[in-house]
Amino acid sequence: MNILEITNLTKRFGSHVAVNNISLAVRRGEIYGFLGPNGAGKTTTIKIVAGLLQPDTGTVRINGHDLAADPARCKQDTGYVPDRPWLFEKMTGMEFLQFIGGLYNLDADRFNSATTHFLQLFDLDEWRDHLIESYSHGMRQKLIMTSVLMQNQPLLVIDEPMVGLDPKSARLVKEMFKQKARGGTAIFLSTHSLEIAEELCDRITIITDGSLRISGTMETLRREAGRQTSDLEDIFLELTGAWEMQEVIAALKERS
Amino acid sequence: MNILFQPFILGLRHHFLPGGRPALRTIGILMAGALLFYGLYLAGLKTITYFHSQNELGVILSLKIFQMAWVIVFTMLIFSSMVTGVSALFLSRDNEIIFAAPVPPKDIFRMRYVTTTIYISWMMMIFSLPVFGAFGTVFGAGPLYLVLLAPTVLSIAATATAIGLGVTILMVRLFPARRTRDIVVYLSLLFGILLYLVIRLLRPEELADPERFPDFIEYLSSLSTPVSPLLPPSWAAGLLSGFLQDHVVDWLPVSLLLLTPMVFYFAGQWIMSRFFFTGFSRAQESFGGSRTFRAPAYRPAPMLWLFRKEVKMFVRDSSQWSQLFLVGALIVVYLYNFKVLPLDRSPVPAAAVANLIAYANIGLTGFIIASLAARFVYPAIGAEGSGFGLILTAPLSPERYMLYKYLFYVIPFTTLALILLVASNHLLKISGPMWWISLGTGLVITWTVVAMALGFGAVYADFKTENIAAVQGSFGSILFLFSAVTFELLTIFTAALPTYKLVRSWRWGIHLSSPVLIETTGVLSVILLSGLVISLFSLRKGSNMLRVHVH
Repeated sequence: MNILEITNLTKRFGSHVAVNNISLAVRRGEIYGFLGPNGAGKTTTIKIVAGLLQPDTGTVRINGHDLAADPARCKQDTGYVPDRPWLFEKMTGMEFLQFIGGLYNLDADRFNSATTHFLQLFDLDEWRDHLIESYSHGMRQKLIMTSVLMQNQPLLVIDEPMVGLDPKSARLVKEMFKQKARGGTAIFLSTHSLEIAEELCDRITIITDGSLRISGTMETLRREAGRQTSDLEDIFLELTGAWEMQEVIAALKERS
Repeated sequence: MNILFQPFILGLRHHFLPGGRPALRTIGILMAGALLFYGLYLAGLKTITYFHSQNELGVILSLKIFQMAWVIVFTMLIFSSMVTGVSALFLSRDNEIIFAAPVPPKDIFRMRYVTTTIYISWMMMIFSLPVFGAFGTVFGAGPLYLVLLAPTVLSIAATATAIGLGVTILMVRLFPARRTRDIVVYLSLLFGILLYLVIRLLRPEELADPERFPDFIEYLSSLSTPVSPLLPPSWAAGLLSGFLQDHVVDWLPVSLLLLTPMVFYFAGQWIMSRFFFTGFSRAQESFGGSRTFRAPAYRPAPMLWLFRKEVKMFVRDSSQWSQLFLVGALIVVYLYNFKVLPLDRSPVPAAAVANLIAYANIGLTGFIIASLAARFVYPAIGAEGSGFGLILTAPLSPERYMLYKYLFYVIPFTTLALILLVASNHLLKISGPMWWISLGTGLVITWTVVAMALGFGAVYADFKTENIAAVQGSFGSILFLFSAVTFELLTIFTAALPTYKLVRSWRWGIHLSSPVLIETTGVLSVILLSGLVISLFSLRKGSNMLRVHVH
């Protein structure tokens, strides 16, 4: 069953077409990687799915509901982690979680058990009553991750999940995502880290200049790039037209 | 959905009651507020008592001023709710969290509505309540007047916010342009509306112009009629002035004042549900879009690049430069008031009154300069944000950095002070020593106030602030304003007597005696010297604090 369905989505900013008629679907229990170079249209797409931007044309359906027609229902089913963890500076971590729990009508038992669990897991427990303005970037990222993971929604939309995380937390987040997916959650994940995409994602889509360049499993991508043994980095560079960079890098390595 | 108010309430609580107890800062602010409140009440009491004790005309004039005050309050509230509305509704960074959550737009409207009402009206409450309260004391209206006054002020604030927010949502939705152009068009329109309302509704020229009316009775009745019976401030003024005079409550304005904010609130909620998302979606489309900004050729000149950075930060941040419209409106309204002053009908010689007003104008100009410095100069250090570390880790000493910042801001502020002083002196037909004294003292005040703003801004810099406009209400900013106004008042009081002697001698062609000349020169030198010392002290203190911030 498809939890997220994007159909013929287009978004223009003036004369610039940021997202050009893209369609894709994310199934229940699937981690779907959304890759592309800077300015390819990843964040715009994600913001549309999170209900933050209005598309010019096209539809987004979440868990069987149309986002334009029933935004509240769709948002209830979507956990969104933005690329920049902007939080309320003057609230404490716990107050922030309570605030988010309240916004999504999370029941008290679930809130208590989940926050205790995730705050301990992310080593945030002793910081829960400190103001967010004293948090580091990584702590903010973990807090916003907690605010999403505690809710158990059918769709997670994640923009750059690992930025600012220490290796332990990064590993933890990856395991969380895998566990969530095994439990049936669909995860739509945008990242620049090709290792993460390769390790986590069941299917990957590469977007360039607002259009989908290719979609499929690692096998499909390898086949498409004509490189049976390549890793995702090679495939990405090949498909995004940046393969010549590899030669420059090789030359630099040789010289050093 | 009350959960939406949590960030606002908790933010306030942590700010004013850290650890559940009132902070020293909170007690200081409360005491300063109470002092200001009482000071305004006393000043109001003195002025209104003076008017009231004259004759029947004095009573009517004081009620006319009462009416005008309500119109001014209402107009300013609508204007500031529209300006605040753009950033609160469309550009707030918490939109990313709140709008991604399953919350109906009408609940978001309720939260923005209540918080905006509080943001825009708390200052107005502090300034208007004691003055309006003083009317009650002078007219002997009793405690019931206060019972009527408080909800009336609240109703006017609530109506103004609902109108301001509703219009903002519609405007941003209607203009089919990009964000920046939206805001330019929108603010130009606001600028026009504000000017029109202030100038046309108040009709200050009629205040002292009995000759425009065939007889005195008509003049009196024109003064006592409401400004426009359809506007909420007229209902407020009508209700309260009726009570002041006859101690009778008129229930029609009471019901209008109760119902109107509700009607506008529900209309605003509907507008929010219907039109907000498209405007919000568009508001996120980043500034400039595909526009390119060509960098000039590089030259190793720190001052040049610091100036350039300041200019770019200013013109690329619409929440910054849009305030210039407000400054523009302020200048036009300010100078217009000088134009319509009925000096020729004054019982005292016109030139004497003109000179007196020109002298008071130094203080008024200084007050405008101080307010604008609190808005633009004070936050200039904190606005560097995380980039501040980069600046001070560069080979640029804090002293030099402060000096460059000072030079950058002192130029436009000097220009503004010159425009206000020269233009108002011209309209008042001032010449001779007063022209030079007003210009000289005005400039010393301007230069000192800018240095003080920068110094206080450095000492109380908040590098984590998201909203530069919100810095204005901070403790350091209020402290700066108090200090700046104190300096201005001291300067004006010190220079008053020698200026009076000098102007009198000049007007009557009396030869200046040596003691007067020495006294005048001495006082003016003291003012110049104290300005210089305060400026240097502020900049030095600021530089020292910057070192502390960086280490």
